[in-house]
Amino acid sequence: MDIFKRKNRIYVPVITEEIAKETLIRCSSCGRLISYKDLKNNLNVCLYCGHHFRMSIQERINLLTDTDTFKAINSDIEPLDVLNFYDGAYYKNQLAKVRQETGLNSALITGKAKIDGVDVAIGAFSFEFIGGSLGFTEGEKIVKLFTYAKKNQLPVVVKFSSGGERIQEGVFSMLQIVRIIQAVDEFREIGGLFISLLTNPVYGGASAIGMLGQFVFAEKDTMIGLTSPRITQLAFGMNFSRELQSAEKLLENGFLDGVFERKDLKSTISKVLKIYTNRSLI
Amino acid sequence: MMTLLSFERELAPLYKELEGKTGLEKKELKNVIEERLKVIYKSLTPYNIVEVARHPDRPQTLDYIKELLTNFVEIKGDRISGEDRSIIAGIGKFNGLSLTVIGSNKGHTIIERLKSNSGMIGPSGFRKIARAVDIASNTFKTPILTFIDTPGARVSPETEKEGSVAALSEPIKAFLRAKVPVLSVVIGEGGSLGALSLLVSDRILMLSYSYLSVISPEVGASVLFKDRSMKKDIAKASKITSEELLSFNVINGIIEEPFTGAHRNPELTIQTVKEALQKEFELLLKEPSGNLLKRRVEKFEKFKI
Repeated sequence: MDIFKRKNRIYVPVITEEIAKETLIRCSSCGRLISYKDLKNNLNVCLYCGHHFRMSIQERINLLTDTDTFKAINSDIEPLDVLNFYDGAYYKNQLAKVRQETGLNSALITGKAKIDGVDVAIGAFSFEFIGGSLGFTEGEKIVKLFTYAKKNQLPVVVKFSSGGERIQEGVFSMLQIVRIIQAVDEFREIGGLFISLLTNPVYGGASAIGMLGQFVFAEKDTMIGLTSPRITQLAFGMNFSRELQSAEKLLENGFLDGVFERKDLKSTISKVLKIYTNRSLI
Repeated sequence: MMTLLSFERELAPLYKELEGKTGLEKKELKNVIEERLKVIYKSLTPYNIVEVARHPDRPQTLDYIKELLTNFVEIKGDRISGEDRSIIAGIGKFNGLSLTVIGSNKGHTIIERLKSNSGMIGPSGFRKIARAVDIASNTFKTPILTFIDTPGARVSPETEKEGSVAALSEPIKAFLRAKVPVLSVVIGEGGSLGALSLLVSDRILMLSYSYLSVISPEVGASVLFKDRSMKKDIAKASKITSEELLSFNVINGIIEEPFTGAHRNPELTIQTVKEALQKEFELLLKEPSGNLLKRRVEKFEKFKI
């Protein structure tokens, strides 16, 4: 329940084609200038310090799946404004705007694809869509993804980047977590494999779901926790170090199976998938 | 003197005056205050209700346990990392019925609040809930009653290190498997993931001045506006009151508090809750528990598009 911003306060540059094509980008971590082209060629990772910048949802799909194998499912499910939420602006209007800007119907795209030749059911959160937050549509799509995977006996890979529950959908967004936990549980019960990939950031209820995989991997430079240090500071006046919520720290504390650089994510996931699909059942 | 809430402050002089009065005069002044309060409470805003829900004199989980249960034996610790006093769990008898009770407890005094982290649940608390549910479902086979009164999950360096993110789903999973009737009552604050950890039940009741929300109004305002002071707008927009949630069919019923708030008459409140619980358990116990579990899962599946 975090991070999505009204007045674009930005930690890392959001790179849009028009603005950035001809410009140099300053790395928010080491401060050096990098050309847009070099950054794109290097998977949005700083050439000097290795800082991982955010990726668009399309770049993510390209990174994780085999070329042209991704087929979206349930992409026509429309978002809903049950509460008629108004906090000075209408959520309805915000939804319309973000749908137009991103071309997405929700913060989660789901589908089937191949990863190094292995068929998978895959989901990916888009942080650009209201902070990747979790509402009705996202809940429905995750549940449907796991049902689809169960029916077709496919492993599931979900890439998380989410601020948590969608505040604008109130208690209904929170109740999605219960549905999702049930769906994952039923899937795991029949021996389904769920690989969870956490990318910056994963907060609130999304972190609880992200931890449900048998394998939980995180990308370098990912923050994972209940509430971000910034919100904790704003809301409770309490300070704690950002480092505590770093993927590296969670790995050390026993909550992750690995933290990898962007370039190694696909090959790591693919190793697990291949062992899983090629095993002789006992 | 009783702690007055922001919207009751206009009555402070009257309360002060009351202290010096005796006999008939005192009674008359009390009536005047009562009438004024009734007018005020007729038009509470959602954020006012949040304030009532947070009143330190409101009856809490431990008060209900003390008044309603006999032979209470506590379930303590999560057997992994510690004992979280924000969660009180145990077995006991309610009107002759064996029960397992699990509730979040805030504490009335500062010392109590420090011990219970003001009811904010950490990883060991989440695991303790799951352990108590397991004992209720598999060993004692008793119905489970949950009391919800928490500002939310605890956020601190310790809880992040101990892994709230991993522990959060444990109680939800446990309730989704419990083969016994589960009844939830929101008695005060129903804050975010803390409340969710005690909410996966067959029937949900709310006290009239309690609230249930995905996020506390202060945190919501910080996220959406970077400004805590927008909390009133968030409380209104998020539809967090018992009446609103009943209209959305998220909850099954409202337990009416004394008109001017549970904190003004805790005894009467607890008595009203007792009567409501009796009725609910009569209904729940008629149902074969296999049906209940199936329907519980279906109910949460229904919160979709």
